[in-house]
Amino acid sequence: MTLQAARTADSDHSNIAYDLPEKPLVTIEAHRSWVPLNIRDLWACRELLYFLMWRDIKVRYKQTALGAAWAVIQPLVTMIIFTYFFGKLARVPTEGLPYPIFFYTGLLLWTFFSNAVNSGANSLIGNSNLITKVYFPRLIIPSAAVGAGLLDFAIASLLLIGLLIYYNFQVTLGYLMLLPLIALTTLLALGVGIWFSALNVRYRDVRYALPFLIQIWLFVSPIIYPASLVPAEWRWVMILNPVTGVIEAFRASLFGRTFPWGSLAYSSGFTIIMLAYAAYTFRRMERNFAELI
Amino acid sequence: MRPIIKVQGISKRFRIQPRESPSVRYETLRESIVKTLRSPFGGRNGNRDNMIWALKDASFEVMPGEVFGVIGPNGAGKSTLLKVLSRIIEPTSGRVELYGRVASLLEVGTGFHPDLSGRENVYLNGAILGMKRREIDSRFDEIVAFAEVEKFIDTAVKHYSSGMYLRLAFAVAAHLEPEVLIVDEVLAVGDASFQKKCLGKMDDVTRSGRTVLLVTHSLGMVTQHCQRAILLDGGQIIKRGAASEVVEHYQSRTAAQSSS
Repeated sequence: MTLQAARTADSDHSNIAYDLPEKPLVTIEAHRSWVPLNIRDLWACRELLYFLMWRDIKVRYKQTALGAAWAVIQPLVTMIIFTYFFGKLARVPTEGLPYPIFFYTGLLLWTFFSNAVNSGANSLIGNSNLITKVYFPRLIIPSAAVGAGLLDFAIASLLLIGLLIYYNFQVTLGYLMLLPLIALTTLLALGVGIWFSALNVRYRDVRYALPFLIQIWLFVSPIIYPASLVPAEWRWVMILNPVTGVIEAFRASLFGRTFPWGSLAYSSGFTIIMLAYAAYTFRRMERNFAELI
Repeated sequence: MRPIIKVQGISKRFRIQPRESPSVRYETLRESIVKTLRSPFGGRNGNRDNMIWALKDASFEVMPGEVFGVIGPNGAGKSTLLKVLSRIIEPTSGRVELYGRVASLLEVGTGFHPDLSGRENVYLNGAILGMKRREIDSRFDEIVAFAEVEKFIDTAVKHYSSGMYLRLAFAVAAHLEPEVLIVDEVLAVGDASFQKKCLGKMDDVTRSGRTVLLVTHSLGMVTQHCQRAILLDGGQIIKRGAASEVVEHYQSRTAAQSSS
């Protein structure tokens, strides 16, 4: 059978009307340099993002006796320990706030942030079976891992509401800032998480270095102590940490204190630059993921 | 008629690991720092001896509605070709143009999670393969009936027998409806009767006029389903044409090699 004959034979039973576009839908080529973000591609995969988040959430507490209660237990127990050691024993000043609520506000954001960074950073490695078998924009994977943490955050927030009622705090106008602050924390975690996830594919050192880094990061953030405790000449070091502004602003908006606009602006700027840099690094390394992982 | 897949001079070079660390495929930070210190200006591409061409200057075109076969011995570059066409790995040089929506199936059950129920895995796997939620909704009953797991659809798949697992995984894949389907040897899973059903489904797919690129070891599948085929060996296309001719060429080659 000749090539020509094969083609005619084929068109006989073709009952799909092929209306081929003039330009290819997809072009596959070697890329020497960095490729810009393909927003359309990402948008087309929003359902996959949702499904991967849903999977992470579903699977997280499968076969656990306490289930989603773990989302509260983690920050709650840490808060109790901090209240005893740093509060009752070390008498850390808290700008007049009761110890439990001072520690819990910090820990609530911090637990979300550190878990999101950690699961984001390990997400590509954990999904290597997908990366080597199916194509979709790889950014979906760390994004889903970070996004899945929001549910735990929401559950743990219920306890904060309880504490606010117990200590008789009034609702203030500052509450309007809560949502933007949570969004900022998520974006910061996304930036850091995406960057580490890409590095992790090439350098497995990340897996060992990251828990250590997160631990140090906790101590240089105003969670155990207020930023005001740091001597004035060292405050700039504190503020270089983008988490400082977010946590200070979180407390300020909950308790009606003066809002730290300066350090919050720095945190926002840092977040935008981090996200852009992380996306750039990720895109640069993405094409080799399937071979390196 | 214009082709729906245009492959132009695709090559792929892999780096093979030096002898000292065959199992470690990733480099540690220390290694790469040391490497950068030793040769700070380039030279990171390493030794040419460690390179292997898995695919070299392969060009072909697939017409809409055609079932196109890719055959060849192990290590011929078939999987590399599939992975390049599926956008999983990037070619070293060359260009591929795709003029239709492509779904590729390199294994069945990609992304199945053992702790999730059959129902949940159908949705997850469908989404991973590129189906919209609506599409999965409308085909859900069909998928479950095809897999014959109606009674266990809300049981975690880790409690499934391996046959049930494979059937469900195949069923999701079989209900994909892209314009172009790229398939590795994932067909015909399960016991004899289910295999027959899989092959029947494959017949339906090829008859529906869908464009299929089929990579397989089964020469029978190629002669039966494909109109045209290529034979790969050592990363190069060594024979192209009507499926039966290419299969014959491959068989006589293998016979000649084994008798010599």
